[in-house]
Amino acid sequence: MKRSQTSIIVTAAAVGFVGAVAFHASGTKTPTGAGAIANTGGSNSTSSTTTPIQHTTNSSTPPAQTGSTVVVPTTTTPNGGVSTAVRSATGSMEQYGYGQLAVHVTVQAAKITGLEVVGLQTAESYSQQIANQVLPVLKGEVLSAQSIQVNGISGATYTAEAYVYSIQSALNRLHFK
Amino acid sequence: MCATRMDCIRRRTLTDDLHVAFGEIEFARSVQAPVARPKSQTQPRRIASGNQTNATRSRAFVSPKSKRPRPRMVDIAVAVVSTGFGLTVGLAFTATSRHQLSAPGGMALFLGNLTGMAGTYLLLVMVLLISRIPFVERVLGQDGLLKWHRTVAPWPIVLIAAHVIFLTIGYAQSARSGIFHEFGTLVNTFPDMAVATAGFGVIVALGVLSIHSVRRRLRREVWWALHLFMYVALALAFAHEVVLGPSFVGHGLTKNIWSACWAAAAGLVLTYRIWLPVYRSARHRLVIDEVRPEAPGVFSIILKGRNLERLEVSGGQFFEWRFLVRKLWWQAHPFSISTRPNPPYLRLTVKEVGDFTSALAKLAVGTRVGLEGPYGTLTSHAVHTRRVALIAGGIGVTAILSLLEDLPKSSRPVVVFRVSSEDQLVFHDEIENLVKQRGGRLHEVVGTREEFPVERLSTLVDDLNKRETFVAGPEPFVLHVVAHLNRIGVPKENIHAEVYSL
Repeated sequence: MKRSQTSIIVTAAAVGFVGAVAFHASGTKTPTGAGAIANTGGSNSTSSTTTPIQHTTNSSTPPAQTGSTVVVPTTTTPNGGVSTAVRSATGSMEQYGYGQLAVHVTVQAAKITGLEVVGLQTAESYSQQIANQVLPVLKGEVLSAQSIQVNGISGATYTAEAYVYSIQSALNRLHFK
Repeated sequence: MCATRMDCIRRRTLTDDLHVAFGEIEFARSVQAPVARPKSQTQPRRIASGNQTNATRSRAFVSPKSKRPRPRMVDIAVAVVSTGFGLTVGLAFTATSRHQLSAPGGMALFLGNLTGMAGTYLLLVMVLLISRIPFVERVLGQDGLLKWHRTVAPWPIVLIAAHVIFLTIGYAQSARSGIFHEFGTLVNTFPDMAVATAGFGVIVALGVLSIHSVRRRLRREVWWALHLFMYVALALAFAHEVVLGPSFVGHGLTKNIWSACWAAAAGLVLTYRIWLPVYRSARHRLVIDEVRPEAPGVFSIILKGRNLERLEVSGGQFFEWRFLVRKLWWQAHPFSISTRPNPPYLRLTVKEVGDFTSALAKLAVGTRVGLEGPYGTLTSHAVHTRRVALIAGGIGVTAILSLLEDLPKSSRPVVVFRVSSEDQLVFHDEIENLVKQRGGRLHEVVGTREEFPVERLSTLVDDLNKRETFVAGPEPFVLHVVAHLNRIGVPKENIHAEVYSL
């Protein structure tokens, strides 16, 4: 190979590589992952803690996603009062790579009473299957725990994360405890 | 090129007068014992119409040469493809995060993604290399492209194998299951993975078949027919890339660009490997007009066709010929044209070296012939100096002969035609005339390599290291000559060689 051709190839490849990385860096918004969750007041509010993914009986769903953290932010109420009105808000649309979703949260008194997924769009049918299986389970978990500090689900890391983050942003908008 | 049409006709009929007015002729015989000259020369000279075939009779029309090669365009194409490679590798890096890397299996999954992206892109490059895109082939040559294809080949195969291994390990680690169990899960439950695994199997099998020691046990045509299944493997693997690859899922633009690249590659293959040859074959409708013996074991096939004045081919080029008879239609073999097209005639000359070429000698007049091409960079376009040397070994004389026709009258070429025995001096008259018309010198060398080692080329042609040299012939011959040229210091851009092998 001529020397000039080698240098063309190497330079062009380097340009392409740098271009891809730079383009990606400029395009991504700040991740809603660990550390970006708002902690409202409270001296013992913790920053993000990570809980390891526990295996559930859903072992037939192969892990299409990697990573094993479900960030569990805790919030404390700014005013200690309890409202009895029914309030609801929709959380932010969370893009999780294999799809996106938002959760509409309904609260009454100091309880989360309703969770409804709105705007679920999955990249392909496989992720749709995961969402169909996993979101109802998560809903039950959040409602019974009355917090978003729930176990993640192996093989549905990103879906679970998106669900939780969306709920968190809805709760923030409601200034929920 | 003749100044006028009458010039062309006149020169052809004057050929056999051994008229020295056009320049010198030297005949150098390097065989020790006196050897009888070939029969045609001992007879008194006459207008050798018996030697002229339809293909070489006086021409009323000079058919167009192939388009000029444009090296800069190829440089741009190489830059674009390399940028794509960098982008693809960059995509793999941007699809992960530090967070994911530190998770169980994260590093293995990242490496699996990286090797998959890089390996698949290189497979795309492999397809581009053999898609016979004309502007690329004009610069790099079919033989150069095949050489590149063979050189690049191990990389995508190794990368894809690594991709499979890394991803299996990574998913196994992240799901905390065993590797073999995970492999089963991957293949059976992930979407489009069963076909992708089949595709992988095909790639590995074909890779093994292409290892030199395995490949030489197979007949060339059988190996090649099996190799075509690579296309199938690529098609099988495509779906899993866009459905599972982290760079593509949820990234519509990237996915569309990737798909467009593959669609373009498929389009190029369909166009330049299938459609264009079919179109040209149909346009010219070549049939065998005559099978003419030239020497023991060497024969010319003269083809007759339509619209040959529109066939753009330069002297020195070759086509992949497809003889449409029952046993031979499925193989295409390369043979140089041994003279420029003389509408409606076209001539190729073949040496019997095996089954296929022996079968060709027995073909009937009227057999239809398809063509793919023209290919080859051994053309007058490549000439960039004022002094040229043409070195032909055995049947390589065909390319040299047609190339000679394209050289201008002022070129004074030195032609060396080396054969192993006297009776192989085919086209002696034609070469002699062409050389004479161009004021050049012809050396016919008869003997084996021991009798005439390649170093003696320099004694025959004393300014060989200052000439631009074209070499054609069987592979060992060409390699020896090129090695010698390198030794005497001929710069690489002044050596043009075409090897007859695959």
